[in-house]
Amino acid sequence: MTARRHSAGGEQEFAEERASLVRITFGPLIWAMHFLLSYAGAAVFCAKFPHASEHLDLLVWGIGLATLVALAGIAWQGQRSFHQWRKGNEDSLIEEDADGSSEDRHQFLGHAALLLAVISAVGVIYTALPAFLTATCR
Amino acid sequence: MTVADPERLGRPIPAAADRFAAPAPSGPFPPTPEMLAEPVPPDLAAAQEDRLRKAWKAPSGWRYWSAVNNSEVGVWYTLTCLAFMLGAGVLALLMRVQLAVPENGFLSADRYNQFFTMHGSAMMFLFAVPMFEAVSILLLPALLGARDLPFPRLSAFGYWCFLIGGVFVLGSVFFDAAPNSGWFMYPPVSLQQEGVGPDIWLLGLSFIEVASIAAAVELIVGTLKCRPPGMRVNLMPLYAWYVMVVGGMILFAFPPLIAGDFLYELQSGFDWPFFDPERGGDPLLWQHLFWIFGHPEVYIIFLPSIALTAMIVPTFARRPIVGYSWIVLSAVGTGFLSFGLWVHHMFTTGLPALSLGFFSAASEAVVIPTGVQLFAFVATLLAGRARMGLPMLWIAGALAIFTAGGLTGVMVAIAPFDWQAHDTYFVVAHLHYTLFGGFVFPVIAGAVYFYPVVTGRMLSERLGRWAFWLIFAGFNIAFLPMHLTGLIGMPRRVFTYPAEMGWGGLNMVSTLASFVIAAGFAVLVWDLLRAAWVGPRTSRNPWNAGTLEFVPDPDENWGTRSIPYVHTRYPAWEQEAFVERVDSGRFYLPDAPEGLRETLVTSVIDARPLQVLRVPGPSWITHVAALFTAGAFILPVYHLYWAAGVSSALAILTVCVWLYLSARSHPEAETKDAGLGLRLPLYVSGPSSVGWWAMWITMLGDATAFASLVFGVFFYWTARPDFPPEGAAMASGTLAVAALVALALSWALTLTARVVNARGRPWTATLCLAVAPLLAVAGGAALLGSVWLPDLDPTSHVYPAILWAIVIWTLVHVGGGIIMQLFCLVGLLAGDFTPRHDAPLWNITLFWHFLALTVLVTVAVVAGLPRLL
Repeated sequence: MTARRHSAGGEQEFAEERASLVRITFGPLIWAMHFLLSYAGAAVFCAKFPHASEHLDLLVWGIGLATLVALAGIAWQGQRSFHQWRKGNEDSLIEEDADGSSEDRHQFLGHAALLLAVISAVGVIYTALPAFLTATCR
Repeated sequence: MTVADPERLGRPIPAAADRFAAPAPSGPFPPTPEMLAEPVPPDLAAAQEDRLRKAWKAPSGWRYWSAVNNSEVGVWYTLTCLAFMLGAGVLALLMRVQLAVPENGFLSADRYNQFFTMHGSAMMFLFAVPMFEAVSILLLPALLGARDLPFPRLSAFGYWCFLIGGVFVLGSVFFDAAPNSGWFMYPPVSLQQEGVGPDIWLLGLSFIEVASIAAAVELIVGTLKCRPPGMRVNLMPLYAWYVMVVGGMILFAFPPLIAGDFLYELQSGFDWPFFDPERGGDPLLWQHLFWIFGHPEVYIIFLPSIALTAMIVPTFARRPIVGYSWIVLSAVGTGFLSFGLWVHHMFTTGLPALSLGFFSAASEAVVIPTGVQLFAFVATLLAGRARMGLPMLWIAGALAIFTAGGLTGVMVAIAPFDWQAHDTYFVVAHLHYTLFGGFVFPVIAGAVYFYPVVTGRMLSERLGRWAFWLIFAGFNIAFLPMHLTGLIGMPRRVFTYPAEMGWGGLNMVSTLASFVIAAGFAVLVWDLLRAAWVGPRTSRNPWNAGTLEFVPDPDENWGTRSIPYVHTRYPAWEQEAFVERVDSGRFYLPDAPEGLRETLVTSVIDARPLQVLRVPGPSWITHVAALFTAGAFILPVYHLYWAAGVSSALAILTVCVWLYLSARSHPEAETKDAGLGLRLPLYVSGPSSVGWWAMWITMLGDATAFASLVFGVFFYWTARPDFPPEGAAMASGTLAVAALVALALSWALTLTARVVNARGRPWTATLCLAVAPLLAVAGGAALLGSVWLPDLDPTSHVYPAILWAIVIWTLVHVGGGIIMQLFCLVGLLAGDFTPRHDAPLWNITLFWHFLALTVLVTVAVVAGLPRLL
């Protein structure tokens, strides 16, 4: 390895490593975006849209659509993580003791990302419920 | 296999002219079993120990207080938090005495108000959050097999700031000058208090928040970059995962409060109407900013305690944790969800029902990850061969109390129930159940469990049991009745009540039991202090734990004797002859031939060794910096603005000298033998260096504070029909655009300086950095002019006020950017920063990236947005 190659690797490594840690937060980030959009969307809609109370169905459908998009994104992330976790490990559902290999770390990040995707999906559904149950600007 | 991952070797490396880059690590990694099995000759080991001992020796005599090592600073920090906690506890006892009987005259109403305000503020800001930082500073290096954290002087600086700020804030109760409007300081009531109380709260606690953020940066970088070689993210002790999550939460939670404090100070000091509805302001903005901080804060307190539990449970179950990735899920998941709960503190403020619904839903959702970790602990205990012990007793108590607090939490998360229970003793009971179960008990468990790591001695089992049963019984007898007291109508924060309300009996029970709690704490504290001198000496690993923190010898100051290669989650259980090899210096950095303090820096995900980091030793400059910083925050309380300005200038100067002295000291060689045949560079810059990471993480927090100010603009826009008011003057578009152009050029020159310097043209870089500050001054002046010249009066309405606030925020950062440019200019002119030694240039460029973004948003919001609305 030459000096040059290592330093070029410095930035590259930063990018790669950050990416793989950041990837496990995709699910929760989608939840956060959806939450923020629903909350801010409802607030702005009720405060600024002319005759907002008469057009509440617009808001409900908007949040519904955002929910579908968010769930689709989480499902995609979940499916990707599922494969990352299960690759080479198809038979057993039991978590093995960590053995310190790269493969193991790879699967761990997949598993963590999958679990976070599941909790994010639950969070997104919870957030959408009030829009369908108590759609009001009051 | 070499240090690089095999898959990376085949990949084309982008061409970069890096004649001046750090040499690559070379040598075998990971070490083979044969290399590790080879014994170290005893006389060599003894000589190495001598040198290490000398390098890490704590200063003696009065110089002891100049120590910066985590083992000293961590102990001071922990003891200071304990002292503040006891102080805040005494306030609670005095309040309980006042409430014992109806119409009591023990405390006056105002005194009582000061006491509950200080009790809450001190428990939160002077005990709970700093205790997490204190324990982490103390233990994290041991947990990670590191010799110290990457920035020991930053920890020391943070500690001294915390001490001064804490004494200042808590001391105000002795002078009848404490804030009196509750720990959340709601305006408008808090604005009506006469005297210095509110300013003590605002400025004193802002000061401490800055120290908290400094500690968070230190801990995050420590966890990411100072793990032992081989400890991939999936092998980290769970405590380290929680440190990372909680550090991240501090970065995103504290800045909104700092932004809020900034607005509040402008309102109370200069009458800018942010919270005054008559001039377009809205007190609810403070509530939003406070609780965007305040609710994550609850989890910032709770998660580290759960982390302690996650360390203790496997030891007493005598098996690895069940569901490691499930616990990581709950840590990260709780961290995220906790930011979606803040409005549940504001259910009764008249927000639209739909908003309440969103936050109620998120409040219920957070139960899932919180529950997952508790189930993982129970599963570990069931799957292992559990034994009892004092730490486990405290953990069992914690689980019982926390579960009860969690259940009432589910109740108050439902908005209609909360409307009934809000501001009653039901909430007091709920929050004390969560905090005792979710924080106090686990921390005591941790203190008992880790006591031998720090002191080499054991606490008394008998006194420990006495303390446990006194506190556990006292707590439940004091706080369980409060649910009822609240449901039959007793509000919080009343200094007394009439006898006919029928609350007297319940209150008397609570008061009597609170003294039982106090007796328990007296026993506990007595034992903690006594055992440090006379407790029985223990073996190194008395609980037979599997993780790294019990490996170092508490009698030595060097941390770990050699930095181990780790490839399991419980190395002391699962790796062959592990402790023996650490002890004999078989692993990395077993020696200090140069007599300097060193630790290893590794890569973020897979912990491949990257660098031998020299960490600084004892110093007084941290004290000087802390003192001047304290002046900058404390003097404005007494409206001594000139003195405060001088103090801030001196603080900045001290920090610059401190940083410059460390930036100019270059290692004597390019690489160094780190042991086991590995050669690592001593000086790296840019993304490989810990300083760059620290800057990156700090700027994330800084950007969050700025985003909170911008949130303020949108908040006023949706909440108020008169924002911006009809026909209001606008900021000058021309000047704002001119500011944008000048500051963008300054940013470009800074970036150019870094790039050309790295290509071996330091003189071009010097020229760039000589021009860049001039452009920055011009840009700053234009930005100031854009709101000054159109005569936007910030006291007239909230619209000009918030524009001014954003501009001031940005100008302060431009000032910081200019200082950094001059810092590097001096370094280049003096020849201290060279193409090879260019870390400061990388770090200031990173700052300027964030600054450029801040300026862009400022110009868009100040000059662009009002023209669109």
